[in-house]
Amino acid sequence: MDTITQETTCILALVATLMPLLSFAGILLVPGRTDRGAFFSILNISFSLLLSVLVFIKVWDQPVVHQQLEWFTIGNWHFKAGILINNLSALMLLLISLIAALVHIYSLKYMEGDPYLFRYWAYLGLFCFSMFGLVITDSLLLLYMFWELVGFSSYLLIGFWFTRKAAVQANKKAFIMNRLGDLGFLTGIMIIFTQFQTLDISLLFSEGGFVSHATIQNGFWVFSSNKMPDIWLTIAGLAFFFGAAAKSAQFPLHTWLPDAMEGPTSVSSLIHAATMVAAGVFLLGRIYPIFNSEVLLVIAVIGAFTAFMAATIALVQNDIKRILAFSTISQLGFMMLAMGVGAYGSAIFHLITHAFFKCLLFLSAGAVIHEMHHLKEKYKLDIDHQDIRLMGGLRKFMPLTFITMLLAALALIGIPGTSGYLSKDAILIQAFEWSEGQAGFWKVIPYSALITSWLTAFYISRLIFKVFFGRLRLNDICGQTFSLHEAPKIMTYVLVALATFCLFPFFSFNPLHYEHSWIIEGLNVVSNIGRVNIYHTLIPAAVNLFAVLIIYLSFTWYVKRGKSPDLSNSALFRFAENQWYFDKIYQNSFVNGILLLSRSVFAFDKAVVDGFVNLLGRATVLIAGLSQWLDRRVVDGVVNGAGSVTKIIGNFARHFQTGRLQHYLVTMLLIVLSFFIIKYFSQAI
Amino acid sequence: MSLLSLLIFIPLVAGLIILLLPSIWQQHYKYLALGAIVVQLLLSAYVYLNFDGSVYSGIDTQSKYQLVERLPWIRLDLGSFGALEIDYFLGIDGLSMPFLVLSSLVMLVALISSWEIKDNLKGFFALFLLLDTAVMGVFCALDFFLFYVFYELMLLPLYFLIGMWGGIRREYAAIKFFLYTLFGSVFMLLVIIGLYFSVTDPQTGNHTFNMLHMMNPDNYVQGSIFSALANQELFGIPARLLAFIVLFIAFAIKVPVVPLHTWLPDAHVEAPTPVSIILAGILLKIGGYGILRICFSIFPDAAIESAWWLGLIGVVSIIYGALNALAQKDLKRLIAYSSVSHMGFVMLGIASVTSEGISGAMMQMISHGFLSSMLFFLVGVIYTRVHDRQIPNFRGLALIMPKYTTFVMIAFFASLGLPGFSAFIAEAFSLIGAFNSESINGLLPRWMAVCGSLGMLLGAAYLLWTLQRMFFGKTRLWGGEDWRQKLTDLNGREIFALTSLSVMALLLGIIPSLAFDKMNASVLELIRLVNLR
Repeated sequence: MDTITQETTCILALVATLMPLLSFAGILLVPGRTDRGAFFSILNISFSLLLSVLVFIKVWDQPVVHQQLEWFTIGNWHFKAGILINNLSALMLLLISLIAALVHIYSLKYMEGDPYLFRYWAYLGLFCFSMFGLVITDSLLLLYMFWELVGFSSYLLIGFWFTRKAAVQANKKAFIMNRLGDLGFLTGIMIIFTQFQTLDISLLFSEGGFVSHATIQNGFWVFSSNKMPDIWLTIAGLAFFFGAAAKSAQFPLHTWLPDAMEGPTSVSSLIHAATMVAAGVFLLGRIYPIFNSEVLLVIAVIGAFTAFMAATIALVQNDIKRILAFSTISQLGFMMLAMGVGAYGSAIFHLITHAFFKCLLFLSAGAVIHEMHHLKEKYKLDIDHQDIRLMGGLRKFMPLTFITMLLAALALIGIPGTSGYLSKDAILIQAFEWSEGQAGFWKVIPYSALITSWLTAFYISRLIFKVFFGRLRLNDICGQTFSLHEAPKIMTYVLVALATFCLFPFFSFNPLHYEHSWIIEGLNVVSNIGRVNIYHTLIPAAVNLFAVLIIYLSFTWYVKRGKSPDLSNSALFRFAENQWYFDKIYQNSFVNGILLLSRSVFAFDKAVVDGFVNLLGRATVLIAGLSQWLDRRVVDGVVNGAGSVTKIIGNFARHFQTGRLQHYLVTMLLIVLSFFIIKYFSQAI
Repeated sequence: MSLLSLLIFIPLVAGLIILLLPSIWQQHYKYLALGAIVVQLLLSAYVYLNFDGSVYSGIDTQSKYQLVERLPWIRLDLGSFGALEIDYFLGIDGLSMPFLVLSSLVMLVALISSWEIKDNLKGFFALFLLLDTAVMGVFCALDFFLFYVFYELMLLPLYFLIGMWGGIRREYAAIKFFLYTLFGSVFMLLVIIGLYFSVTDPQTGNHTFNMLHMMNPDNYVQGSIFSALANQELFGIPARLLAFIVLFIAFAIKVPVVPLHTWLPDAHVEAPTPVSIILAGILLKIGGYGILRICFSIFPDAAIESAWWLGLIGVVSIIYGALNALAQKDLKRLIAYSSVSHMGFVMLGIASVTSEGISGAMMQMISHGFLSSMLFFLVGVIYTRVHDRQIPNFRGLALIMPKYTTFVMIAFFASLGLPGFSAFIAEAFSLIGAFNSESINGLLPRWMAVCGSLGMLLGAAYLLWTLQRMFFGKTRLWGGEDWRQKLTDLNGREIFALTSLSVMALLLGIIPSLAFDKMNASVLELIRLVNLR
């Protein structure tokens, strides 16, 4: 491609990015009705979608598009801002704009009637802008900026209902945990900048870029004239991963995501399922060359562990959104695992397929919640409208929602014919292939992933069966017969649109072989091992056979018999129900610890630091008082003493001055007389 | 008369006019003051637009300063001691010019918030304008004696402004502030005298107070106390190091750094809103500016030697200030402690002696100037309405004061370093500079930058917690219905002040070159000077 088309492509991408910002600014700055902005936002995001499609067509499987401008200069370093679109970012741009546009349309009905709705549209605009910026930018600094901005817009949207205590606590928690991860990201940036003196992604991470030219020599990480102890390479990788782990809700920074479900469901589906939480995976993809084998191993282990942990928690939750939230954490773990085992393409592939089916799961759940809430309002019931124990039999009332959600669930399980089958099996197969080359213990990883995928089959079928099969349990509890409606038409259109993306033809014409998927081919990192490998047939067969058995088991438990074994007293159940106690541990150790520390630091500040100053002040006053006393009693005392003595003498002498002649004569006579007497006697002696 | 003199003396003249006007016109004093400050702001905007950052790198070369004005001021023949040479010597380079713009804008905002002052208006506005003169003078002065005169001149109006228009414990706060700062500057005077006797003007051969001459080691008299070659010692410490420490303490009190910070929370809490704005917005920056202009430029050898300690002080201030802020219940005190934390980044950046670090520190000072002014203005808004600012006494303010809450959120997120606002660029580059230092000059270890970044986390914690406690949730006020009546949303005057500050923070965050381009050459020149030793 020549420069002119490069420039136009960049302008297209830039305009696509700026459209949602226009919504944000326009809605907030132009006053009007409190529900303004809906059509403006939808118009803008649709335009973004159109442009993204154009950009995608222009860029996919074409040379990378990269344009930049001077941004600012510090010292001798020139920082540039630019746009870098390769297959990965073009794909992400398309994915985000498509899902965002669908969610916008869905929100039209879902959020209807909410007070201050304009804020919702504005915040969504800010989010889409930051997310687009995140995927197209060419500089780590800008990437970091957009990274924090998506966190900020997620903060705003989680706390959209700011009068609810739980919502404002959740958004604070989300922001602070993400901030913690961001410190890792920032540390990574500092290391990269120190070593390479640039933050330009294409210079650093492209093929033959700076990072690949840096070498390890005698325990030093060397690039041209710069060197650092080689531990910093590992630290850099871990630091970036720490940032990604916070955004993608990986252990140990995963606890914010379930709480983030306090936001509107449409927000959860867009931000906390499909796009923003996948940004961590995207980041790893952008900077993949920085990770050395130790860090990749850590990523794989954390990913596998998170996937397993979150799946066990999802087994026992009763809030429909929380189940899906833990499912998201678990699936993100799969993507991380894929990144860690070197299955870069599969990770991104799973990111894409997951975005669609998880978004759909949330939106369908949203439809259910919408109707349950409606019921709750109408009959003034005191119930939790997100509790799956109150639902049941909804497939009769909401058939379309049921079918679409079922499709999404099948994709999540990875049943052949769905998109999820392709991407998930790709990850499992590559994990097994990877473990061939690993030492004994690490072989656990692919097996844990296998078990996780069976757990997935269980928790999602439990959800589907409890919500849509059997009969409405709310009737039993309230002793009344309720009936629900299908979701509003606009919402169901969106559900149907998303459901089509859960099917294989969008991703590969071969429903069984992930290697033929155009995404994997486009990201051109097909594994070298041919299909001769036994894993390629064994794993899909084993996964699916067992998954079907598990689905049947949950069918017998929740539908056929309508009763499941009561495990709620077992320790393992409680462990999972309390989310492995992470929240409690964090609250008691970190949160309370820091608060205690801050209070003691303040007490120290008041008592010791300020106390010392005040002591100094008091000591000075005391010394001043002392010197005043000295001055008065001693120095002044001497002066006054001299005065008093003079006065006494004067008083004494004054008695002589009586003014009577007789006295004077007598005195004179006495003096003369005594003079002679003294003289006489002294002579005699 | 040159532009800089106009900038300095216009407020003074306006202040004198206010003193002469009869008191029956006291309702109009503020408009006179406003006029003076608007003229000042326009002048400084003009100076900014005409300042060529790449040419006027300043630091130790007079010809590289812009708008130089040098008039003999005091000339005394002292016989065998030579002639006393004090100049009225002004000029600006990339280190001082940004502060002129900052100061005039902050002064404007402070004046706007002075609308709430009701008693003794003549005294208030006269002192206010005198303070303005002193502040401008400090940033322009290039003669150390002149600098000291302006520096001390700031104390007098501030003492009275806090002591007469302050809160309940105003006398305590005022005297504490006064003594603290005086403690620093008294010893500074000794160093100034020492420098005077060590440095001669190469043209006239007389001793001089000219700062630029002090920066050149060739101008030191052989064997004089501060001559780098003589290696004199005082009390067993190298004299130059001691002088550096003394000057550093004087400026560090202003910054302030831990453990010399305790005047700040008291002064802020007791001071009336406009004075808090000036304190946080401008006066703290004089500390950082003094460290760069005087400590680092005149004693670069000692600066390099102490860099590790300065970095440590920076990191400690960042974390200590943030932890203290987390424990506060008084909103104003919380913001005062957050200032300590944010100014820690300045120390860390300066100590790194890298272009990223020092530019980051400069940016942090400018950005904090805008943001802390905004924060104190916002505190002032609720304080003037209900005379209370205890965090637990408010809840759910977002419902009754939506515009106010919007600005609070802008100010809070901007100061916790949300990208897009100036503080992010500033803090990120202070940290990057500190991290880079080990590779470039080996002054600061890398862990300092990593620890310093924790301040950004704690910053998010205390600000978001405050947002949650005061602004979100269902409205519940300690003062009940009475407060609800009084807590009206922002008026036009307040919106104007807050908008101008947020726009500045946003502009600098998105187009940081607005500031960096002006100071880049000076920062590089300073680093060259320091590395020359």
